[in-house]
Amino acid sequence: MSDPGTSDKLAGLLAQCGLGNRRAFAELYEASKSKLFAVSLRIVRERHIAEEVLQESFVSIWNNAAKYASAKSAPMTWMTAIVRNRSLDIVRRPLVEIADEDDVFALNMQDERPGPPEQLNIRRDQVRIERCLKGLDAEQLQTISLAFFQGLTHSEVADHLGRPLGTVKTHIRRGLQKLKGCLEP
Amino acid sequence: MKLAHPGLRSALAAEYVLGTMRGAARRRFESYLQSDDALLHEVQRWESHLLPLADRLPAVAPPDRVWKRIEARLDQNVAGKAGPAPSSLWSSLAFWRNLGLASSGLAAALLVAVLALKPVEPDRVLSAVLAEENNVVRIVVEQPRAGLLNVKMVKPWRTDSGFAHELWVIPKQGAPRSVGVINDATDTQIRLAGLDARLADGAAFAVSLEPPGGSPTGAPTGKVVCQGSIAWMPVKSSRPGTQI
Repeated sequence: MSDPGTSDKLAGLLAQCGLGNRRAFAELYEASKSKLFAVSLRIVRERHIAEEVLQESFVSIWNNAAKYASAKSAPMTWMTAIVRNRSLDIVRRPLVEIADEDDVFALNMQDERPGPPEQLNIRRDQVRIERCLKGLDAEQLQTISLAFFQGLTHSEVADHLGRPLGTVKTHIRRGLQKLKGCLEP
Repeated sequence: MKLAHPGLRSALAAEYVLGTMRGAARRRFESYLQSDDALLHEVQRWESHLLPLADRLPAVAPPDRVWKRIEARLDQNVAGKAGPAPSSLWSSLAFWRNLGLASSGLAAALLVAVLALKPVEPDRVLSAVLAEENNVVRIVVEQPRAGLLNVKMVKPWRTDSGFAHELWVIPKQGAPRSVGVINDATDTQIRLAGLDARLADGAAFAVSLEPPGGSPTGAPTGKVVCQGSIAWMPVKSSRPGTQI
């Protein structure tokens, strides 16, 4: 999914979709559906809502595929943004319990080993962001990953961690500033 | 737009991409993105920084019914291109492109045909509510009497966009016909020779973005910003001049 060859292939499929090629669209869906479903499911938490998000996102991907070229981003980034934006727009949930062990990011941060084979192909972007995330302090990292992966708002993160809202906002804001400094030196 | 401070712009773009910006603030920010390329660029930068992290989530296969529904939606759109169903016009830029091509040949003949018809007092008048793709109502079009169309502004556009807003009537069959350029931010009254004949078989109205002064080709050339189907109402009295 994340190696440059796959990225080129997805970009090619998107270009075909822009020309109205439905077979390319089917292939694009097959190649990306499980990652994108996971992204939505993590945020909206309910399968039937995540299914709806995925469905509407792919209709939107098809309708906008011709404009993809001008987005100048990696195909998976472009599609992930569509799915995340739809998920964030739709999510109206009561705060449910969030298991800490669910937080892949925290897990990954402690695991310095190379990991499964597909992780050997991690894209440059990913290596860079992960290196920069390691420069954050623990609270910044925790608040940012809760917001990003679980789609939590500031106040949901605050409730979850039992910290004051202002403190959480500060951690997130400073963490993002620090990331920017690291990513765009 | 008030977001002048670069640090603030970047911080807001980051919170937008991170997902902590929600609700009305998120929608407002998205409306800024429509017209602020530098801000959009900042968002795209943050997306390329943060979104690759999503690849770390364990994959979850969606059920097969999702794909079936996607295909059904696409088929519906394709069917819509051939028919007058206005809600499906949105989904297809190709629809407009094709109509544009078709109408450039037809335009002259059509105009002659339209102008040849004498204005008659209609036995019915129309009204239409034109909304954006996200169902936000922009304008209401009403025909108080023959030969006159009132375009009422519900949600004004920016007046400094550099585009003209052109109103089109989309007939049940055939190419859109221009009704005229409307004001960006205030009501517009349209009085036009042959107006009623032009509207007679109208199924929907749409507004497109055009160069100042209106479409140079006689067919829509820019993005469709709002549209709505036409409701026809019979006029009770058929005596000329007494309709309200």
